[in-house]
Amino acid sequence: MSDLNRVTEILKLLCEKDGVAGYEDEVREAIADIARPHADEMTVDALGNLLVFKKGRNTPKKPIALSAHMDEVGFMVSKITEGGMIKFVTVGSIDPRVMIGRKLKVGPQKVPGVISLKAIHLTTPAERKIAPPAGSLYIDIGATSRREAEKYAQIGDPCYFDSPYEEFGDGRIKSKAIDDRVGCAVMAALIEEELEYDTWFVFATNEEIGGSRGAKVAANRLGAPTFLTIEGTTAADMPGVPVHAQSTTQGLGCAVSIYDKTSVYSRSLIKSMTQKADEEGIKWQYRRSANGSTDAGAFHLAATGAVGMGIATPTRYIHCACNVAYKPDIGEVLKMARLFIKEADKNV
Amino acid sequence: MTLKEKITTLCNAQGVSGDEFAVAEKAAELLAPYVDRVEVDKFGNVSGYKSCGKPGAKKLMLDAHIDEIGFLVTGITEEGFLRFMGIGVDQRMLPGGTLSVMTKTGNILGVVGALPPHLQAPGDNAKSLPIENLYVDVGMPVEEVRKKVRIGDYMTFTSQAFDLLGDQICGKSFDDRACFCCLLHALELLKDKELNVDLIIIGTTKEEIGGHGASYRTYCDRPDLAVAIDVCHARTDDNLPGDRVSDLGGGPVITVGTNSVPRYARKLMEIARAKNIPYQVSAAPSRTGTNAWSMQIIEEGCPTLVASLPLKYMHSPVEVIKMSDVENVGRLLAELAMDIDGRWSL
Repeated sequence: MSDLNRVTEILKLLCEKDGVAGYEDEVREAIADIARPHADEMTVDALGNLLVFKKGRNTPKKPIALSAHMDEVGFMVSKITEGGMIKFVTVGSIDPRVMIGRKLKVGPQKVPGVISLKAIHLTTPAERKIAPPAGSLYIDIGATSRREAEKYAQIGDPCYFDSPYEEFGDGRIKSKAIDDRVGCAVMAALIEEELEYDTWFVFATNEEIGGSRGAKVAANRLGAPTFLTIEGTTAADMPGVPVHAQSTTQGLGCAVSIYDKTSVYSRSLIKSMTQKADEEGIKWQYRRSANGSTDAGAFHLAATGAVGMGIATPTRYIHCACNVAYKPDIGEVLKMARLFIKEADKNV
Repeated sequence: MTLKEKITTLCNAQGVSGDEFAVAEKAAELLAPYVDRVEVDKFGNVSGYKSCGKPGAKKLMLDAHIDEIGFLVTGITEEGFLRFMGIGVDQRMLPGGTLSVMTKTGNILGVVGALPPHLQAPGDNAKSLPIENLYVDVGMPVEEVRKKVRIGDYMTFTSQAFDLLGDQICGKSFDDRACFCCLLHALELLKDKELNVDLIIIGTTKEEIGGHGASYRTYCDRPDLAVAIDVCHARTDDNLPGDRVSDLGGGPVITVGTNSVPRYARKLMEIARAKNIPYQVSAAPSRTGTNAWSMQIIEEGCPTLVASLPLKYMHSPVEVIKMSDVENVGRLLAELAMDIDGRWSL
């Protein structure tokens, strides 16, 4: 099996798990199962982060850490109506317009539910121009009373997009949680490899709710002076979006961040890594947007500060039921992450 | 095959108004065991004939349509995304969903694109996206897309039917294929029963664009009474007080009005009461939005009746029905057929 095939195999496995911030257990267990036979040390910390240490052929002069987040965007039950309908809040940011007409998994038993709207026949053209806010939507699991609904969903229970992992088109993958199971999958595949240098892998919790709180405590614990975050980032290479606003483009390889809302990435690291990538024929592109944030924001501010790089798989339609990634791009991200480990001593 | 399995089989099949042949084939298979003969005509209408064997018997036609709402590819962008138009769909159901593109070499998956929150301007998410601004991503470079997809190819929702709580099921195109399954249930109940009326069971095409298939069958078969079985709006939490809705689980909805002839509609209610079948009544002074509208004015005219299955979220990928309603609609139609026994006639 090629290493890219192994990454997509792990990606599929992880995308079939569910985990919003605070409920990452399934995802963590699946990753731990993959990592266990290869890890030299594994820890689950107080915030649920999974920290995996894997020895390489050499020990770097200073420790390095790779990081990706396990949580996905989703929903949380906020109220149940007398009639048995479930009101919700989002966990992470989701445009209400991508919720309508979607199937969900609701509560710990993951019973099916749907978010929809009354029939088009009962709406006016003016109404159809307005997108209903999330607060006016509800999840229908078929319950007809609060009592019945409460058997399946309590206030605070998580709900998820029910959108299976599917491969389609010319090497594309569709799932609800490519952001950021793709980063997790790349790291899990690296843990299975022989590494050049000792490496810490952080599978972080609580990224999507802002503040990178999982990554923050992991970074505090590890104190790694050099880090790499691996994300699934926006690819807006779609009709109607001017090229300069596309952020990243599928097919152009690994996205390299310059800065975003919480991080300024190390210019010298970007320079040396991308030069080396060019030499090795790794396809990469700059992430041409300063929007969004990643766990790098926590890593580079931990303790007295660290230098880091942020790479990502260009992913269309993140934060909805159908994230879309392009397999060859994932392959380039894997190569770039591997290169980061290989260059550990040069990057110090 | 259970009734629910029949619904799942038929509703998971794909056939937008204008190209229902694949669905017709499945409908014909399901219908065949119950009738003397089954035909699929050049429109894709399915007809099953069950004779009572009595000379001069009247003809009762029971209709449900087998087409579904859907989409047509209208263009391919230079980046290789598909532009499209909808046939009877609320544009607000689409972003972030999947569609099945029915190409000449088979179905392919498409994702309706949606710009992530990170790249939107404040307030953008309060406006719905006009369907002409939406696009479908089939994940291929433009040259491949041009080879594979043609302007005019149909697209459908990809939903596969699944269970909700309380004997409810959710899926696409329950409007109106679930009603075709109500007809199958009626036929199941009529097995080995002696009738005084010839039954013509039709699964018709092109209802969503004007009831063309049902017109055609009515013209050919000249029934003495034609009953259009279609779905009607069941109450949902976002209804306004003025919305004309019925109750999910409340049983068949019998329409009364010019398009659902009061004489027969009242008779049907009488039958329901006599047989303890729950029912609901809906007043319709003019058109009913069903095949009855087109069937009624064929040639010298045909008496029509409308009976409906309550359904939530009509024309969405997640329509919801309740199995007890499906059964009760079937029961009511079976009782209607059995009731025409000489005490009254068409």
